[in-house]
Amino acid sequence: MRAGPSQEDIRRHNLGALLRHVHLGGPTSRAELTSKMGLNRSTIMALTSDLTAAGLVREELPRETGRAGRPSLVVRPESARVYVFAFDVSPDRIAVARVGLGGVILDRRETVRRRGVFVLEELTGALAGFARQMRRKTRDDTVCVGAAAAVSGGVRKADGVVTFGPNLKAEEAPFGEELGRKLGLGLPVSVGNDANLAALAEHSRGVGVAVRDLIYLHGDVGIGGGIIAGGHLLGGHDGYGGEVGHMVVNPDGRACGCGSHGCLEAEVGERALLEAAGRFGAGPQGRDAVRAVVEAADRGDIVAQEALSRVGDRLGLGVANLVNIFNPEMVIFGGMLREVYLGSAAQVRTQLALHAMGPQRERLRLRTSALGDAATLVGAAELAFAHVLADPLEVLARANT
Amino acid sequence: MTPLLEVRGIDKSFGPVKVLHNVELSAYAGEVTALVGDNGAGKSTLVKCIGGIYPIDAGTIFFDGGPVAIHTPRDAGELGIEIVYQDLALCDNLDIVQNMFLGREHKRGLLLDEDTMEELAEKTLSGLSVRTVKSIRQQVSSLSGGQRQTVAIAKAVLWNSKVVILDEPTAALGVAQTAQVLELVRRLADTGLAVVLISHNMNDVFAVSDRIAALYLGRMAAQVKTADVTHAQVVELITAGRSGDLGLKNGVTP
Repeated sequence: MRAGPSQEDIRRHNLGALLRHVHLGGPTSRAELTSKMGLNRSTIMALTSDLTAAGLVREELPRETGRAGRPSLVVRPESARVYVFAFDVSPDRIAVARVGLGGVILDRRETVRRRGVFVLEELTGALAGFARQMRRKTRDDTVCVGAAAAVSGGVRKADGVVTFGPNLKAEEAPFGEELGRKLGLGLPVSVGNDANLAALAEHSRGVGVAVRDLIYLHGDVGIGGGIIAGGHLLGGHDGYGGEVGHMVVNPDGRACGCGSHGCLEAEVGERALLEAAGRFGAGPQGRDAVRAVVEAADRGDIVAQEALSRVGDRLGLGVANLVNIFNPEMVIFGGMLREVYLGSAAQVRTQLALHAMGPQRERLRLRTSALGDAATLVGAAELAFAHVLADPLEVLARANT
Repeated sequence: MTPLLEVRGIDKSFGPVKVLHNVELSAYAGEVTALVGDNGAGKSTLVKCIGGIYPIDAGTIFFDGGPVAIHTPRDAGELGIEIVYQDLALCDNLDIVQNMFLGREHKRGLLLDEDTMEELAEKTLSGLSVRTVKSIRQQVSSLSGGQRQTVAIAKAVLWNSKVVILDEPTAALGVAQTAQVLELVRRLADTGLAVVLISHNMNDVFAVSDRIAALYLGRMAAQVKTADVTHAQVVELITAGRSGDLGLKNGVTP
């Protein structure tokens, strides 16, 4: 039986906590870190010099403080030196970014993806190819400390296998393992559900900073979600939590890819909107097609207006259910749901007024994503940085060898 | 919670035509209050009374809890009330920084302090997460409608306004730019300002507002929380002045 954490555990924890402050909050002076972390000045100094020696942060004199006295040194993340690879796989698009410590997107590649086919070899090959291209352009003193991917599908917590992804056509795909092998960096690739990761991204860097209870809704071909309760992502028993797209909002409704009927995804997803607007099958797909419907509605096309208002009603019903169950402080609309919400807010909030309970909707804030299209990539990068923040020196030592 | 800006019992006539009857309006810090009403309901007149352009015939304006006298636009500006009109009042031949500091330029000795102004303008725009403008030394004539609106709104923030009143900011914009302006309006309130948004578009109103104030034929039909009303109720308040228990009784404020 142990009495408590050892000296070494405490030091590791403090190093991670300090690095997290700088990673999320940007350049911070030692004095601010002292008051934010509640540690004394000499401890902060010892911690920063350890992190500086490891090349994770660097200290600089501030430009001007406007105050009297010797200025406190500012601790900055070594964004250009320490980086991770973030991958994003959605039905229409794959993207790879090189993201520096501190969350700076240093480099980014993306390409369209053909819908309806999922060949693991081909997909991971393309992603790893992009990563290699970007890696070749980096300086010699840079170091890659992690990699993670956001995937539009259900990811099993235990082994990172994409167990289902009706919109990707993926099934039981050992995606992380395969991508890790193709990358050949000797780093494991963590995998997460895209909406879950986007929720974390909005929570740590987006519109939901300092909001402990939020629900992020992600619209793509389908509808995904991430629920953050009390500051933690609700992962569920196996990691499939937050699949709000399969909440039934109309039992007699449209058939859903999951086999059920009237799921939020089937009633509000891209196909539902395009079919209702009489635009399915012909012309563009994806985000552009959704935008075109919203634009047509704005110009006075009554078919598009009708379609948008029907979709808005169903979306509002779904949000009302979520609000009643989780009592979030904020609901964030991301992906194509940003456009859908702004174009049908009257319907969405009408359904909320009718179906959400008074006390729950009283202080509820509805917002659109602040990170926009980058939300899923930023989320993947945060996942990749997670183990660096848990044990900075150990991870860096391993990456340097 | 006391409203940051409150008007009570405002009357306004133009000659024999009475355009505002005993109007009340409250705007709270950190919230967007949507001011809605049909054409000719008195929205713009009310705003111009608050902005010191029209003198009021009767009534009181309270700012931060205390009564204030606003006789000129300068009075309103000094209190921290900024109005962004539909025509935006930007100078096409000047760049973004020059427009933002127009009439309140920073000086260093006899010269303009361009560096400080540029830095402050940059900081304000990035503080509002405005990423659409490429260079702040761009001439305003080269900007799109949405970007102009953004500059006009950012100007209000730069001058430390406490209340920002926006008259139909999305009226002439396409969908993508409307979305950006709406998000900016929301961020403005989230940073602690009291925002009054005049709009005819019900989706815009519901997308960003916390409260809705509906004017009907020069009277305030109702001020409600957006979370408590439906689209149909707001439309009824605008077109008939009442909806169920809400609104005017026999044409007058209950």
